[in-house]
Amino acid sequence: MSIVSSLIDKLKTRVTDNGGFGVKDAAGARPDATAWAILALMASNQDGDLINSARANLASQQLPDGRVSISRNHPDAFWPTPLAILAWQNSPEHREAQSRAIRFMLQTPGQHFPRPADAPYEHDPTLQGWPWIAGTHSWAGPTGLGLIALKVAGQGEHDAAQEAERMLMNRQLPKGGWNYGNTRVFGMELHPMPESTGIVLEALSHRVPREKIQKSLAYLRTRLEGLRPPRSLGWGLLGLAAWGEGLPAAHGLVAQSLESQERYGSYDTVCLALLVVSLLAPRGLASLYQ
Amino acid sequence: MGFTRREFLWACGGGALLGASGLFLRREFSRRSWTENTFIARAPHYQADLAGIISSGLRELGISREEIKGKRVLLKPNLVETSLGAPHINTHPLVVRGAAEAFLNLGASQVLVAEGPGHISDTLLVLEESGLAEALQEDRIPFIDLNYEEGFTVANAGGFSRLKSLTFPVLVKQVDYIVSLAKMKTHHWAGITLSMKNLFGVMPGIYYGWPKNVLHWAGLESCILDITKTLKPHFAIVDGIVGMEGDGPIMGSPKEAGVLVMGRNLPAVDATCARIMGINPHQVNYLANAEGALGPLRESCIGQRGETIASVRTDFQLLDIFPAQRGLRL
Repeated sequence: MSIVSSLIDKLKTRVTDNGGFGVKDAAGARPDATAWAILALMASNQDGDLINSARANLASQQLPDGRVSISRNHPDAFWPTPLAILAWQNSPEHREAQSRAIRFMLQTPGQHFPRPADAPYEHDPTLQGWPWIAGTHSWAGPTGLGLIALKVAGQGEHDAAQEAERMLMNRQLPKGGWNYGNTRVFGMELHPMPESTGIVLEALSHRVPREKIQKSLAYLRTRLEGLRPPRSLGWGLLGLAAWGEGLPAAHGLVAQSLESQERYGSYDTVCLALLVVSLLAPRGLASLYQ
Repeated sequence: MGFTRREFLWACGGGALLGASGLFLRREFSRRSWTENTFIARAPHYQADLAGIISSGLRELGISREEIKGKRVLLKPNLVETSLGAPHINTHPLVVRGAAEAFLNLGASQVLVAEGPGHISDTLLVLEESGLAEALQEDRIPFIDLNYEEGFTVANAGGFSRLKSLTFPVLVKQVDYIVSLAKMKTHHWAGITLSMKNLFGVMPGIYYGWPKNVLHWAGLESCILDITKTLKPHFAIVDGIVGMEGDGPIMGSPKEAGVLVMGRNLPAVDATCARIMGINPHQVNYLANAEGALGPLRESCIGQRGETIASVRTDFQLLDIFPAQRGLRL
């Protein structure tokens, strides 16, 4: 059985009674897990009924203003909204839900403010992106996800998307790569992280000249050698693939990553789905929709 | 007998003054009367018998087999991120292993290790590259990624920040005994990071973000106190065998202090660590605000077991470019 088939079979065991997907075995549905499972099922051309039920579950979690939060009890944690936009793409039944989610994103940037003269950080805090949680600053991860979602949904030229692009370029580390979203603090350049770098490279593909992110590609190529943790590996592969640098060794790396489950236990649904997508999207996540 | 408006206002003002005085006196009384014990052990390197050293500390601090037997113990190390050649960023895996063995030897039914790093959403990456995964696997100790754990929300018992409630991972309800297993480091925002600041890693990223920016916007120092007060950890162990000085918590230099510091009361443990680092705990804002509310800071209120502070004091470098590190030197 191929890696993808076994991953899909495993994902199917995480379907909940209400059509969503749990994060772990026997867990209740959670929007981030459901959205990622939909992406993996779409990528592998799975049964439409399963996907439609999952999309409906995701819609049932949407709040009236369009956001999709990690749970209805935590509306401020709205970072799964771009994942829902991706999961509803190309679904006529969910066009309205997707439009509301997009509208919410366009109207809800992070907290932004002029840079104080004595600021110990070096990034430009006026540039707007998206936060993980309402009422906080914009960071690389959610801004990258937001930009990917807007691109896929045909809103890539919206002012908010253009500003998100500038914000992400502003947060690129001078030596290459991205971390959670700080570049230098008190004059010291911080370390890049493979997951953040993969997300942002995917978001910036077809938007900025290659020479502006060359160092980040180089960082990621080197960093992925022997890397096994699934979030970093999955996003790392997607980030490179989005720039036409898919790794021939991707299957081997994913297989090694899956072997690590003997040590850590079964991966969560997001990780499993991310690995599926990383294997089936040879030109990056956005290529799934082309 | 009637009151004039002026008399009534005077009476109210006097009552308020009396009330404020009462609160002040009560806090002052608490500052002077609250006593705790901490234990300082020399541990010159990570190959020392750390389980034995920690067991001695537990014994000296009156933690008996009866207290631990049958309990599920959660160890919360400090895993921030990894960088080649910088193992001093994180609690050393052998300290985690030593603590696990010590609690298992006291009859714990299970020891779990859990963490939710604040900078990196791929917890497994830090777990693996810090070497902790390997150590835990050898001892068959489970690890739980707190960043993605379902949460439960409780009222903020501290009231130091504007946050009305805090969302903790359900795991903390499922264990009986919580140990903050911190690293001895200076910190460019907070001055120092020890057993109290380490608790930021308990808060799940799915509700607080990466970094846990909700806590920063609500006030980093106030939130340290809120989380400590609300979570009420049972014990703290600080890895000061090789700590970090200067630009902590990530970019600083390694500093060998050769100690493990432990105790039941987190402010007392952190105050003792601060003194070992050559830092006046009363000058660290969040520690000063913890005094009387969460525990004692005064040296006279902290019974010192094991080594004396003077015998192990190793001044950690403080940098004036960081406002939080100015004026901290003892």
